[in-house]
Amino acid sequence: MLIALFTILLLGGGGGSGILDFIADTQDTVKVVVEKDDRRKEMLGTLKAMKKRANAHGKVLRRSSRDLNRVLADDEVTEAAIDTIWYRYFAQREVYNREMLDLRFQLRDQMTREEWEQVFGEDS
Amino acid sequence: MRPSSRFRQCVLFLAIILSVTIGCAGKDDIAPIDVEKQAFADLREDIREVIEDPARADEAIKLVGVLQEDLAALRRSVAERRSRIAELNADYDTSRADFEAFLQRIEAEVGANRRRASESHLALLATVTAEERSALAKTRTRAMKATIRTMQAI
Repeated sequence: MLIALFTILLLGGGGGSGILDFIADTQDTVKVVVEKDDRRKEMLGTLKAMKKRANAHGKVLRRSSRDLNRVLADDEVTEAAIDTIWYRYFAQREVYNREMLDLRFQLRDQMTREEWEQVFGEDS
Repeated sequence: MRPSSRFRQCVLFLAIILSVTIGCAGKDDIAPIDVEKQAFADLREDIREVIEDPARADEAIKLVGVLQEDLAALRRSVAERRSRIAELNADYDTSRADFEAFLQRIEAEVGANRRRASESHLALLATVTAEERSALAKTRTRAMKATIRTMQAI
């Protein structure tokens, strides 16, 4: 239990989901809000790319969790060994944030303000 | 089939449905926070059993208390982050700079927590022997397993 909980703390959460993943889960809402045309096809393409990116990040997080669990279970564990895994994970996390933001703004440019508010607004 | 037999089967079926429903409701009634409290209580009990030296057992329990507080704080932070990022995203006019500033703040927080967690972990290693750690790792109560699952989902 201790090792699993320390791993969650070190990675800042244990979930398999990145902070921007929720945007990718709106394909069904977009299909309801936007008429079936080329624009909608483009939006769904962007959301599909986001989903793919989110899944790849989930794999990175699970692999980092496994690596940390293994290192923390070692009686000879050093802070350097923990840092190596942590910095590798966080470098990948920065790339995830940047690429997901690129896709988020691509999606925003594909949608009108009204469509955006219907998909992501408080009432959505 | 005789009517009485069919009646008995219906009663039995309803009893099964009722017991399953009650069983599920009972399970859901236990809040994750209570399961977590139980998991840490189980862990403290295990520490008392495994570490015979009272001074070291006290120190280990103190460190586990820090871990419990840090996990509770993490849970709150993650909920706040998710709520704020949803707000930023909902606004069509949010700039990329606003998103980046918020994400950088999160990374800084996570970095600070990492140092704290790493220090706590090393302090625990210094307090508990390898044999004791091995013994503690073997015991996993139902509450501990549930807590790990819920914490992994945040």
